[in-house]
Amino acid sequence: MPNAPAVTISEPAAEDARRFHANLELLAEMSRDFAASRDLDVTLLKAVGHITDSVDAEGGALFLLDEAQENLRCHACVGATEITGLVIAADKGIVGRVVQNNLGEIVRDVSKDPSFFGGVDEKTGYTTKSILCAPLTVKDERIGAIELINKRGGDGLFSPGDLHFLEALAASAALAILNARQADALLEQERIKRELELAREIQSSLLPRAGDADAPIAGVNLPAREVSGDFFDHFPLKDGRICFCLGDVSGKGMNAALLMAKTASLYRCLGKAILSPGRLLGLVNREICETAARGMFVTMVAGIYDPRTGVVTLSNAGHEPPLVLTSDGGFEAFEAGGPPLGILADPPTKEGYPEAAIELKGGSLWVFTDGVTEGYVDDAGTELGAEGVRGILLETRGRALKDRLDAVVGVLKPGESGMRDDVTLLGLVDTAAGRPTTTSSPATGAESIMSMRLPAKADRLRVIRHAVRAALDYLDCEHEMTEQVILAVDEACQNVVRHAYGGRADGEIAVELRRDGGDFVVELQDFAAPVDVGAIRGRDLDDIRPGGLGVHLIREIMDDVQFVTPPAGVGNLLQLRKRLYTKAGAS
Amino acid sequence: MMHEVKDAGGAVVIALEGDIDLQTSPKAREALLAAVGRGKPVVVDLAKVSYIDSSGVASLVEALQTAKKGGQTLALAAVSEGAMRVLKLARLDAVFTIHANVDDAV
Repeated sequence: MPNAPAVTISEPAAEDARRFHANLELLAEMSRDFAASRDLDVTLLKAVGHITDSVDAEGGALFLLDEAQENLRCHACVGATEITGLVIAADKGIVGRVVQNNLGEIVRDVSKDPSFFGGVDEKTGYTTKSILCAPLTVKDERIGAIELINKRGGDGLFSPGDLHFLEALAASAALAILNARQADALLEQERIKRELELAREIQSSLLPRAGDADAPIAGVNLPAREVSGDFFDHFPLKDGRICFCLGDVSGKGMNAALLMAKTASLYRCLGKAILSPGRLLGLVNREICETAARGMFVTMVAGIYDPRTGVVTLSNAGHEPPLVLTSDGGFEAFEAGGPPLGILADPPTKEGYPEAAIELKGGSLWVFTDGVTEGYVDDAGTELGAEGVRGILLETRGRALKDRLDAVVGVLKPGESGMRDDVTLLGLVDTAAGRPTTTSSPATGAESIMSMRLPAKADRLRVIRHAVRAALDYLDCEHEMTEQVILAVDEACQNVVRHAYGGRADGEIAVELRRDGGDFVVELQDFAAPVDVGAIRGRDLDDIRPGGLGVHLIREIMDDVQFVTPPAGVGNLLQLRKRLYTKAGAS
Repeated sequence: MMHEVKDAGGAVVIALEGDIDLQTSPKAREALLAAVGRGKPVVVDLAKVSYIDSSGVASLVEALQTAKKGGQTLALAAVSEGAMRVLKLARLDAVFTIHANVDDAV
């Protein structure tokens, strides 16, 4: 070279410049790797490989603190010794000391360092001479440390320049790890959010679809979170009656939502077959008691509304009392007749939960969860309360049902993160349109159709069946119902024929058929030897004919079956009752 | 109640007719058990049953149980509207094998 360079770069300076460029390139590459990372451990392994090569060490390992910050676990390792997965206490070994002090170190001779953990060397036969270790930290957050073992070539010792270089790389790696972790957490959050959205969709599919604008029943459900512990349902029966329910599962979140899904499904399934709200709640209670865990329970109201009579049969298992708003502006509340479902396996009575029959007479029925009454109406935390609900219902009288539901939930102010609790409200408006007012009083509509007294013998059952058919024809009863009622009465008469007279052949049975308002009433009386009337009262049908298929049929078909006190206290008087649907009404 | 028994394609076909109630079900029970006693597959033709009560249904169940114990089959065929109503109310419509007509059953 003819001309010596004007500036001579000294050896260390040239080394720094080379490292500076290598550092930049390595940083750029590591950043790309971390940004594209799908698996953090794979990327970490790549980074440890690059760093070990750059510093020219025999081996390298990267340790990360666990969540509890109690242990350090080796996530990536290159070189002669494979220690990936090795876990050491967060304050043990040289790596532990570096993490605790948050300060990089050069240990030129590990044999003289009391902190050195020789266990790995003992197992592998490898000899660790010197260690270079730098902490992985971002601001004050400790993440772990990266450790290099045995410098190649030269005196085999790491230099202060190596430590600076490693610290710079460690800082970048720490930032990248933190970013990757946050990205993972974000992905996980996204996944959970998607699953919750799916759960919400499934839940809302369990609620009934909005009916026609002039439907007598409608509900609204606003979940406080993605998923809800509240539910309501309603569906019409073939005979025109409407079944409905509303429930509230204790607690919130996913476990409440799952119990809600179960209870709502049970109701959907049983509601069409069990036409007694009290018996139905008894069955749902038993099912939940058998399988529900963690002391969860459900408060629930179930009912059946008959638009032709305006009568609601209601049963309440520990739920906030439903309100009836009468047509003259008064309110009546219906307290619970039994505990919430899922607490006591035995229902309040043998027949399930108690039922109340409520004649709406053109009024309306409102069932709601405590999310409505305990919802805030202002920013100061004033609750709407039962009084508030009553006020809105009174103000909105005469308006469409849906408007009234919207008016109630409309005054509730959601907090920063939505409603405080699930808000669910069900309204039922009795129009009483086209209903003769006389049917509201059963006594005035009573009419005897047929009365007979005949030998209690099996061959007379045919006669009774013909009589019942004639009576139902006279009442213009719909075909299927006629056939079923004949069967039920026949089964009840068999009871008398088989058991009342204990084998005596001269016993008699009296059959009285009458119309009582909209009901068909059958009274069957036997005249067996004088019986203690007190012993009969309240006696259960099952006690008379144990385990009978006949009893099942009677219960299945008739709306009401009970023993009543016979006139003059003689014999047994069984009363069967069935709400009648005429051919004209059914068409 | 009347009944008629005939053989068809290796099976015994017993056709019940009329009302099967407390009065007549003992006879139906006897006829059903006799048909099962012949050791062949049994088909009970219910086409002409106008009425059946719980005692009649109990006879059918007893015949089914007896047939099963003997490794035989017992199927119902051409079940009338009235009989089907009771089987459904008693939730026994899934317990019995039910054929649309006797020809399908044998």
